[in-house]
Amino acid sequence: MAVCIAVIAKENYPLYIRSIPAEHELKFHYTVHTSLDVVDEKVSAMGKALVDQRELYLGLLYPTEDYKMFRKLHNSYTDVMCNPFYNPGDRIHSRAFDNMVTSMMVQVC
Amino acid sequence: MSVPDYMQCAEDHQTLLVVVQPVGIVSEENFFRIYKRISSVSQINVRDSQRVLYIRYRHHYPPENNEWGDFQTHRKVVGLITVTDCFSAKDWPQTFEKFHVQKEIYGSTLYDSRLFVFGLQGEIAEQPRTDVAFYPNYDECESVEKRIEDFIESLFIVLESKRLDRATDKSGDKIPLLCVPFEKKDFVGLDTDSRHYKKRCQGRMRKHVGDLCLQAGMLQDSLVHYHMSVELLRSVNDFLWLGAALEGLCSASVIYHYPGGTGGKTGARRPQGSSLPADAGNRHRPGALTTNGINADTSTEIGRAKNCLSPEDIIDKYKEAISYYSKYKNAGVIELEACVKAVRVLAIQKRSMEASEFLQNAVYINLRQLSEEEKIQRYSILSELYELIGFHRKSAFFKRVAAMQCVAPSIAEPGWRACYKLLLETLPGYSLSLDPKDFNKGTHRGWAAVQMRLLHELVYASRRMGNPALSVRHLSFLLQTMLDFLSDQEKKDVTQSLESYTSKCPGTMELLSLPDGLNLPPVPFTKLPIVRRVKLLNLPASLQPQKMKSLLGQNMSTKSPFIYSPIIAHNRGEERSKKIDFQWVQGDVCEVQLMVYNPMPFELRVENMGLLTSGVEFESLPAALSLPAESGLYPVTLVGVPRSTGQITINGYHTTVFGVFSDCLLDSLPGIKTNGSTVEVIPALPRLQISTSLPRSARTLQPASGDEISTNVSVQLYNGETQQLDIKLENIGTEPLEKLEVTSKILTTKEKLYGDFLSWKLEETLSQFPLQPGKTATFTVNIKVKLDFSCQENLLQDLNDDGISVSGLPLSSPFRQVVKPRVDSKPVNPPEGSKTGDFSHVKTLEAILNFKYSGGPGHVDGYYRNLSLGIHVEAEPSVFFTRVSTLPATSTRQCHLLLDVFNSTEHELTISAKNNEELILHAGECQRMAIQVDKFNFESFPESPAERTQFTNPKQLEEERQETRGLEINSKLDIHWNIPSLKRHGEASVEGILNQLVLEHLQLAPLQWDVLVDGQLCDCDVVADCRVGDPIPLEVRLTNWSKRNVGPFALTVIPYQDYQNGVHNYELQDAITFVGSNTFYIDSVRPTENSVCLGALLFLYTGDFYLNIKFHEDTTSKELPLSWFCLPSIHIRAQGPDLQA
Repeated sequence: MAVCIAVIAKENYPLYIRSIPAEHELKFHYTVHTSLDVVDEKVSAMGKALVDQRELYLGLLYPTEDYKMFRKLHNSYTDVMCNPFYNPGDRIHSRAFDNMVTSMMVQVC
Repeated sequence: MSVPDYMQCAEDHQTLLVVVQPVGIVSEENFFRIYKRISSVSQINVRDSQRVLYIRYRHHYPPENNEWGDFQTHRKVVGLITVTDCFSAKDWPQTFEKFHVQKEIYGSTLYDSRLFVFGLQGEIAEQPRTDVAFYPNYDECESVEKRIEDFIESLFIVLESKRLDRATDKSGDKIPLLCVPFEKKDFVGLDTDSRHYKKRCQGRMRKHVGDLCLQAGMLQDSLVHYHMSVELLRSVNDFLWLGAALEGLCSASVIYHYPGGTGGKTGARRPQGSSLPADAGNRHRPGALTTNGINADTSTEIGRAKNCLSPEDIIDKYKEAISYYSKYKNAGVIELEACVKAVRVLAIQKRSMEASEFLQNAVYINLRQLSEEEKIQRYSILSELYELIGFHRKSAFFKRVAAMQCVAPSIAEPGWRACYKLLLETLPGYSLSLDPKDFNKGTHRGWAAVQMRLLHELVYASRRMGNPALSVRHLSFLLQTMLDFLSDQEKKDVTQSLESYTSKCPGTMELLSLPDGLNLPPVPFTKLPIVRRVKLLNLPASLQPQKMKSLLGQNMSTKSPFIYSPIIAHNRGEERSKKIDFQWVQGDVCEVQLMVYNPMPFELRVENMGLLTSGVEFESLPAALSLPAESGLYPVTLVGVPRSTGQITINGYHTTVFGVFSDCLLDSLPGIKTNGSTVEVIPALPRLQISTSLPRSARTLQPASGDEISTNVSVQLYNGETQQLDIKLENIGTEPLEKLEVTSKILTTKEKLYGDFLSWKLEETLSQFPLQPGKTATFTVNIKVKLDFSCQENLLQDLNDDGISVSGLPLSSPFRQVVKPRVDSKPVNPPEGSKTGDFSHVKTLEAILNFKYSGGPGHVDGYYRNLSLGIHVEAEPSVFFTRVSTLPATSTRQCHLLLDVFNSTEHELTISAKNNEELILHAGECQRMAIQVDKFNFESFPESPAERTQFTNPKQLEEERQETRGLEINSKLDIHWNIPSLKRHGEASVEGILNQLVLEHLQLAPLQWDVLVDGQLCDCDVVADCRVGDPIPLEVRLTNWSKRNVGPFALTVIPYQDYQNGVHNYELQDAITFVGSNTFYIDSVRPTENSVCLGALLFLYTGDFYLNIKFHEDTTSKELPLSWFCLPSIHIRAQGPDLQA
């Protein structure tokens, strides 16, 4: 189901992006990039409503609950962040993260 | 209807559509001048009411859209204004005919029309006509606005009448069915009498009336009509018209809520009356429309508030309307426009998420096959709408799609210029600025993959546009900012294309301005290569200028009286970070070292790399370099020559890489390390070059202090040898050399040196000064090596064990003085290796000759330069004095110095002393040489009082004294060696080997004993003749040179005969008689005084007699050294009187 998974830094650049038909990579880059508008909108809406709310979960762009994707991805992402050798803001180059993403993609395809 | 008007907004529903068109040949300029004036009249307060009419002018309107006029009346062309040129009355009928033809196009819907004729004068023009206005030319048409107002009023009258007509015919007459063009054929044969049909007719008519009311400025009425229409149409499932009625309702509500308009065309809608602007802030006030209102009845106010939709409802109703529209394929344009209008409303409401849903829907509305131009328009408008709701990325995406559409392969003449312009507009959406400075700080901003793509497109578009400078600039920017994201292959590709572009148009550092006002700042390649460190280098040590030590007062100019204070130190540190504590010299090449590395996967050729400076006239000497692929830090030295004096600041460097010129300023480089960038340039100084007669040494001296040696010479000398060093001084600078000072410094201190190591006379050289540029002078230095000639301790012992004592006890036998050549069979090399090493030790002497020189303007400013010449001397041992001893000579005033001389060279060597014969020593041979020397009277040596005070320590004083004695002895001895095979010769010094004991022996005793026989001074070897039978007077005189009283002494004269066989005959009572006592008594003698004892001898027989004068053992004499009582033995030959005769 998942054809493209991306992790975006809060400064609006990709930390990680991977898509399954590799030949359309640029297309997915565009797709993900343009979808950030919505995220921005959600974030700014949140900011207005709850100034000091620490809840970072914005909700889902699409109903993906069926696949338990976010939880898995977020756990793996947390692992990456816990790596003392990882520099926050750098691109993610983690085999474990890669494998997890691959498993999420392969699952359906 | 197929042409969507993307600019539509909700309030367009209340406008009347007027088409303004040129007829015949009207220049575009003139037409638009008039059009502009016409369209300024967009709002009219109708004369007899408070209602406002809004007019929408179009200069182009497709007639098929006009056919939808019944569906939504604002789509109906109700007015036509034609503009025409007509210069003669002859043309007039033709022109008028054209006007009529034009009217025919929109004929069915027109309420009224006007013709503006320009240029026609005369009879025809004077006819008063309502539908035609004549103006002499485009400049004299003041009444155009008035005419338009009149025209609009006439439109209003028609509109009002139509509204009233439609609104009032309620029953009785059959209501006609209004329909849209594509419906017409569907209703053929439909039962027109059914309730259903009637309701549909009623509903559609209500909606139509609502439209008219809205146009006629009766908002409230229109709301009521729309509500009724919605109810009617909903019951008959007439979805298309239901949608239209809902949209009308929305439009009216929007107009009510947002009097400022949703289209963003500020100023287009001039608020009428006085209260409207106030309403803008309070949209929900029920009485908002009172000034517009038909009446001020409060009951209608309540109704109004009820009929009007709330902002939330507006969106719901829009959604509903759009969903109804979407049921009809032919209503695509209507649906699309409704979406656009809804988005505009939502944008005002700041509900971006919902707006995006509407837009998303609009994107998927499939109209018929669009032309390329329409596609571009569609994408552009989508982009604008996304921008409106704050979705910049989506906006950028659609803009980019539009740009790509401009140059789609299907287009015959691709619009690269338009494409480029659109692409530039997408930059903010991709958070990309074209200023490379924005990329210097922190991490990369934005989405690199997408940005890269965009930059590639910009490059391509600008190239196709035929602006190579632009494409070079964009490509440079791509390379500079996206370097981290480019793959190796991409780097290669990008640089290749950059090189091919720059071969035609080199990249510059100028600001590129685009026609639309955008400026492209220059892109310096600060990453090609990356500079990590910039270090200004001091001049080489020999060229560094030194400040002459000024007066103390100037040195103490720092304000604080403290030598050190942490506060001051801190300040200094800060200053130092800016300014560097060395100077450069005008006219001399100075260097800046950059540590660079090449991030590219291939060899990087950097050309024309030079320094950018300010403050001082500077001649930069650019360098070209080639950096290997992905090199590590690589030092590059940039050089230049300051041509004037003052403060020079290194601002950066310039390069040419891939044909692009870059000026990289250090301030803008991230993570650069520098030791400061400002240096003082002092006036020019001369430059001295020295060359010597000696070979240069590969070895460099490492002096402890900071000065560095520029040249080193080395020489091998035998101990005691003297070598002349000729130094050629050449002024290779441009300034005359005026001053020169020479000093020397000996570095090795562990070896004891005798005499001056380096000596020179400067006067001769200075006479040639000032030395003009290019001239040379010579300077001579003597190098004299005079080290210790004594052996090491162990060797000494080794050679001593042959039993001969060093202690120079007075050996009374005069025969021992015969030099017994000692054929030393001892091996030169003792068995132990360690001794060998010590023995053949080559000693190294190092010294520095400092030349301080100055001249020219630098000298005036108090600077000088220092040039150092390192002298490295390897001193090989020549001869050693392995042992020293003394033998008393026959005379008490003299003695024999016995030196065991060892030839440590590998050559035959001769050695000679003052008056001795040469002694030949083979390699490794050791021989004893005896030198007869007069004893020394050391006490008489002058000793300067200064020296005395200097060595307060008695031990030091003693050493010093011994040294001076050694020097004195040495000068007397004057020992020279000569190696004939090498033609080398030198001195040998005994200074180091003389021990206390030997010195004592060499010293003249302070008690001077003179023995006079017959008034004749008797010393060794002197034979005093006398006659048998005659009394011989014997005088013993003592002179006291010591500093104290001596004596009293008792002396006995003992005569004896030597049989030359070792037997001494003392039994001479019958041969010699003493006249008087044979014992002398000397009373104590005070210093410098003398005492004389007189006696006489009488020889009774002839023969050789000796007199031995002995001291009586006495307590007093024991205090004094034995050598003080050294009296000569006297040889007297007594002869017979016959011989005398």
